[in-house]
Amino acid sequence: MLKPRFIRGAPATARPRLWLMAEGAAPPEPAREAAMAAAFAAAPATLLDVPGVARSALLGLGTPGRRLDWERAGAAAAQHLVELPELGVDARGIAPEQAAWLVAGMALGAWRFTAHRRRDVERTLDRVVVSVDDPGAARAAWEPVSAAVRGCLLARDLVAEPANVLTTRRFAKRLEGLAEFGIHVDVWGRKRLTRAGFGALLAVGAGSASPPRLAVLRWRGSHAAPPIAFVGKGLVFDTGGLSIKAAAGMEAMRADMAGAAACAGAMLALALRRSPAPAVAVLAIAENATGADAYRPGDVLRTASGRTVEVVDTDAEGRLVLADALHHAVTAFRPRAVVDLATLTGAIISALGHHRAGLFGCDAALEAALAAAGEATGECLWPMPIGARHREDLRSDIADIRQCVPAGGAGWAGRFKPDASHAAAFLREFAGDLPWAHLDIAGVDTAERPHALGPAGPTGFGVRLLDRLVATHCEAEP
Amino acid sequence: MLANPIRNAADMPDIAFVKPVLPRSGTLVLPLPEAEADRSAGLFAEADQATGGALARALEAAGFKGRKGQVTTLWAPGGGFGKIVAVGLGKPAELGPEAAEAAGGATVPALAQDREAVVAADALPAALAASFGMGALLRAWRFDRYRTREKEEDKPKLERLAIAAAEPNAAKQAFAPMRAVADGVFLTRELVSEPPNILHPVEFAERCRGLEKLGVEVEILGPREMKRLGFGALLGVAQGSAVEPRMVVMQWKGAPKSRKAGAVAAKPIAFIGKGVTFDTGGISIKPAAGMEDMKWDMAGAGTVVGLMAALAGRRAKCDVVGLIGLVENMPSGTAQRPGDVVTSYSGQTIEVINTDAEGRLVLADVLWYCQERFAPRCMIDLATLTGAIIVALGHEHAGLFSNDDDLAQRIIAAGRAVGEQAWRMPLSDAYDKQIRSDIADMKNVGGRPGGSITAAQFIQRFVNTKAGPMPWAHLDIAGTAWSSKDQPTVPKGATAYGVRMLDRLVAEMGEA
Repeated sequence: MLKPRFIRGAPATARPRLWLMAEGAAPPEPAREAAMAAAFAAAPATLLDVPGVARSALLGLGTPGRRLDWERAGAAAAQHLVELPELGVDARGIAPEQAAWLVAGMALGAWRFTAHRRRDVERTLDRVVVSVDDPGAARAAWEPVSAAVRGCLLARDLVAEPANVLTTRRFAKRLEGLAEFGIHVDVWGRKRLTRAGFGALLAVGAGSASPPRLAVLRWRGSHAAPPIAFVGKGLVFDTGGLSIKAAAGMEAMRADMAGAAACAGAMLALALRRSPAPAVAVLAIAENATGADAYRPGDVLRTASGRTVEVVDTDAEGRLVLADALHHAVTAFRPRAVVDLATLTGAIISALGHHRAGLFGCDAALEAALAAAGEATGECLWPMPIGARHREDLRSDIADIRQCVPAGGAGWAGRFKPDASHAAAFLREFAGDLPWAHLDIAGVDTAERPHALGPAGPTGFGVRLLDRLVATHCEAEP
Repeated sequence: MLANPIRNAADMPDIAFVKPVLPRSGTLVLPLPEAEADRSAGLFAEADQATGGALARALEAAGFKGRKGQVTTLWAPGGGFGKIVAVGLGKPAELGPEAAEAAGGATVPALAQDREAVVAADALPAALAASFGMGALLRAWRFDRYRTREKEEDKPKLERLAIAAAEPNAAKQAFAPMRAVADGVFLTRELVSEPPNILHPVEFAERCRGLEKLGVEVEILGPREMKRLGFGALLGVAQGSAVEPRMVVMQWKGAPKSRKAGAVAAKPIAFIGKGVTFDTGGISIKPAAGMEDMKWDMAGAGTVVGLMAALAGRRAKCDVVGLIGLVENMPSGTAQRPGDVVTSYSGQTIEVINTDAEGRLVLADVLWYCQERFAPRCMIDLATLTGAIIVALGHEHAGLFSNDDDLAQRIIAAGRAVGEQAWRMPLSDAYDKQIRSDIADMKNVGGRPGGSITAAQFIQRFVNTKAGPMPWAHLDIAGTAWSSKDQPTVPKGATAYGVRMLDRLVAEMGEA
């Protein structure tokens, strides 16, 4: 991750430099001529190259108000200048928090995943020297702001890892590494899962040579209050199982653990900034493979809650592993609220595309808080319905509930299934009577093109959102 | 046979409101709430007495709890009755128009073989007694025009439902506007049910003329007029069909006229409907399975026509315009091709990527025309527009897109009040980018992600806010226009979703 050094005084002239310019303001002196010649309007997150000895640029800020505006500006600058090893940023004249937010954006924008490149490793901006009015204040502001950034980048790193590297075991190992930040990590293996009756998670993981895992992460915080619980879907790879997916695009299924990665990233963020709020993350980790032991369409599973589930489609496995994880989160910790994140359905992409994740739930206050946290962090959500009919559609002829609705059906409309709502209606059955919300992030976990806060690839969607949710809703003294 | 556009009311059971007197024979319907309501007085007590207490005992034995929509039929229970039908009203605390309608609707299948029945609704307030009648009426509708050999015993017989209410006159008064709305619903259901060889654009437009009897001004524009105006988008869709397209403009001028000289008439509320009388998909042809359902791809237009009939039928005190674009989307030697660029009436050019995304092309021209001619205070379009809206929401909610929060809230509230639900969906520039074209101002599809949203973004490009705000809402009714199963007040088939909601909206926005 990019490391900032905050100094007093102007950036060194011999090194690459970045100047800032708000809309309507006079351009800073060294970039004045270039700005005038190009009629640079300083629109938000736009850049103008400034000729000189070392590569330098002028960053337009628009009229920045929100944290997100500063982050986006920083990310744009970092993406524009990403190949520079070091950059001097002239951030004098802005508040310490604003400088911290700008650098946070730069860190998000400069992130690249290079672990598996052996040749032509692209250089990435990793040192910035930030000129500020008060370096002490800027360092103090950066400390908590950097927590969410590190959390987000952890999630991106995990999502980017291919499935042969990030197996279920290694994913669990990586999570155990979070203990160094004061997070208590407990990883369950097959035996313990069997004893506890996690029939759904075990069935989904049965076809793989890598056994399923349940990872329970706890951050105690300092408040004596029930924790907030995050539940994540962690399918390190999803072939679809016997209901196997089409070959085209299947490689993207290494990202099917983005929900679990986001939960882990959020826990890291809370721990790094010593959040007073207790939190717990329950991550269901498995590989959905084809194999002699694989579960079948038609199988009836007994979940940890005791409810039986008829399997209709082995490629709707996310809701199965979440059923067990949700049940555990709800019964073991009696949390104040439960939020699950999952790359759950293709239907949510048909519904909302790649600009918003689906927000489902049964608690208006929790949903409103999540939606607000999403708008503030640029990880936008949109409320979606769970109707009575969606639940009715899940009636099974043989078990307590069926996991999804079989393909086909009468007429033209029979081709279209509201599968995201079906999945949410299914999950609701396992969330008990606590305030619960479900984020279907299938459309937003990976960006096809560079986006406002980073390059193409994993976005880390959900980490900054959950961190913000906790900051605004869970940290007041109980 | 097809000349009369408004279904003959004689085909539907007569809903009458009578004094609360217990009949001595025949079929009795008892609407009963859940839990132990006081049944010591009133018609239930009288009926129980007439049967020597057998009624209460039989209901107990049958496990009748009064749950919403629960129906129990007792045969020859004594007291001279042929049968008694008990129907649940649900929890007393939740007893409102919807529960009363649902009970009325649930009663109808149990009365299929009765010519007459009396409903003991003396315990219901007048308005709910009327709602019970409305529910029964809505459920009793059926489309049997093309059944020529139906067995006598299979035909429903119900001719008269007499609702015995505590205040029959008040109930009757409350029922009169409901009846007008029901007629609008039936007109819509009929238009939507009609097969596509019968109801093509020319025939559809002709049937709209029937609204003139109710005082609606009806104008029909053909291809020559539309060509002169420059409806390149609508005409492009129509050019593959042997049947000419039509646009129908309906005006209901119900607002009280101001007597003051120089008073400016209030702007009308406008409704615009997609009327693709059959949608093969055109050159981008649809799969064969389920294509027969594409006869109801004109449900948006059908809903606007039924709505106009409802408003005129109840003499709504508001100015409303309804515009529908009627085309048939066919593949042929003259059909539009993927790749064609058409110029819409607004002057904006459109690259046609997929000829099966034709509804938005039709709406584009009609919407622009509506604004040019009427400068409405707000406009709402209805269309069976995308399969994606079913993937997003299913069949309980229509997708609601709007550039105006107040209008969106009002639509959701109006829908909730009548049991036609809508769910707000997002719009934003990020989605709009998906319909940028390399060759024209826009393309007509934006890919699979957010397919309903990009369709709405397309339509929004034809909402003219240059001269000031233009509150607009778009209802994607592809999931709600047709029902694959019976619902309490809606038999399987055409639902007429939207007629009641928008009737309610007009009452609250334009007549309050």
